Amino acid sequence: MTLLDAPKSTSVPATDGRAGSPGRRRAGRAGQVLRWTALRLLALAVLLVAWQAVVAAGVWPRVLVPAPAEVWRALVRASTVHDGVRGVSGHLLVEHLAVSLRRIALGTGYAALAGVPLGLLIGVVRPLAVVLEPAVTFLRTLPPLAYLSLLVIWFGIDESPKIWLLVIAALPPITAATAAAVRGVPGDLVEAARALGAGPVSVLLAVRLPAALPEILTGIRIAVGIAYTSVVAAETINGVPGIGGMIRDAQRYNQTDLVIAGLLAIGLSGILLDALFRGVERAAVPWRGRA
Amino acid sequence: MPRAETTGTAGAAVAAGAVDVELAGVSVLYGPAKAPVTAVEDVSLAVTPGEFVVLVGPSGCGKTTLLRLVAGFERPATGTVRVHRKVGVVFQQPRLFPWRTVAGNLAFALARHGVPRAARAARTEELLGLVGLPGMGGRRTWELSGGQRQRVAIARALAAEPQILLMDEPFAALDALTRERLQEEVRTLAAVTGTTVVFVTHSAEEAVLLGSRVLVMAAGPGRVVEEVAVPLPRGAGVDVAALRGAAPFASLRAELSRATREAAAGA
Repeated sequence: MTLLDAPKSTSVPATDGRAGSPGRRRAGRAGQVLRWTALRLLALAVLLVAWQAVVAAGVWPRVLVPAPAEVWRALVRASTVHDGVRGVSGHLLVEHLAVSLRRIALGTGYAALAGVPLGLLIGVVRPLAVVLEPAVTFLRTLPPLAYLSLLVIWFGIDESPKIWLLVIAALPPITAATAAAVRGVPGDLVEAARALGAGPVSVLLAVRLPAALPEILTGIRIAVGIAYTSVVAAETINGVPGIGGMIRDAQRYNQTDLVIAGLLAIGLSGILLDALFRGVERAAVPWRGRA
Repeated sequence: MPRAETTGTAGAAVAAGAVDVELAGVSVLYGPAKAPVTAVEDVSLAVTPGEFVVLVGPSGCGKTTLLRLVAGFERPATGTVRVHRKVGVVFQQPRLFPWRTVAGNLAFALARHGVPRAARAARTEELLGLVGLPGMGGRRTWELSGGQRQRVAIARALAAEPQILLMDEPFAALDALTRERLQEEVRTLAAVTGTTVVFVTHSAEEAVLLGSRVLVMAAGPGRVVEEVAVPLPRGAGVDVAALRGAAPFASLRAELSRATREAAAGA
């Protein structure tokens, strides 16, 4: 049996018209999770071994490709107070990360506050869609580094241009997902609501909005991901504290190990946040895929 | 939304000879304006208060289209549709809101009907009792069986206290046993509450069992070809299950089956 073997269907012959007992199904799922975790750890080990082998072989100079152990030491150095120095640039790694996460949360939060109502309007008001949809697409195709210059001219180098950059990066996916979801709401449900005497406003707020909620949440999750990839761009100017600023500083002094350590911190926190968000989605829309 | 013309006030006393639904010379066209398909051609009918009218016929005969006209979901190309009292609709699929509980689905209808918040809980329980689901208000809709969902859909339609109930093959997707039970309950419910019902089905048996009057439709284009009165007893005390085995029921069903087959063949 290989690691990837799907668990055998555990359903017992259905006598009551239901699928197999929940207990056995849960056991099967737990086994699968265990096998997948093992597979992931194995892949990680293979990667580390290959990395170490490349470093040992001396293919590239150490300055360009540090050993795993050096990256680990950089991680420890960035996370502790040593010789009276607090982490890197006066802040611990978690503090850099926390500042960046706060910017991501604010940027995505404001983007959701503006993007969901905007998407609702675009979804139901045709003339608005004609005007605003190309604008949203335009905004989506712009690389954050390109409009950063404009934001710095307008807002200086403090916190506001960073938040603005993340808002602009996170707004299009939320707006587009909301508009598409609102349009995709089954006409059946809208008709049923109208048959019960619902007017256009209550159809929008009490039927279209909740029916679109699963896709809206997915749009927000994607926007968080985009804000994540944009935060380094947002922190290129006066970005310390901030994980992006920390990486920029490390690059300036050719601290490759610290750059990689910063990348690991971003990537791992991103995975955690994404998993958290998927959990929120499941909890908020338990009917998804069931009705 | 196109809405059928509605006159009179909901709940107004029904005068003798009054009419709930009037269709006069109604035609409905579908498809491109250049080459339209006639879904329904020149249909006229009147439904009087308390009547249980069943539209029966093969697929594509326009019976659902007629129902949607009365519901106000479609507009006729020619002719007029008049609906004089408040309409409620039960669809083939329950069309419940999955983000709301059973009680929440009823609350949606109660709120639109202007029932104050404080009165909703009691009214919800009353409605659930009416459709045989007492105490189920807290359940999620996806936890229910198909039959239970359709019962909730019926309760939700009744929550707005319609005087006219439109039902579009509401039992078609249910298993035979559930279907028979719901047929019996709806027949009794309509008789007891005096609700006017327009009911669409393709089953001759269902038509005879439920209807006080059955309109047989044919396709190509959709039209009413025959009308059959069903003089079976109606009311609270009637044992509907026993009706199925009675001789008049069997002969009426045979007559209607012949009529629908002829309508289908003639199309």
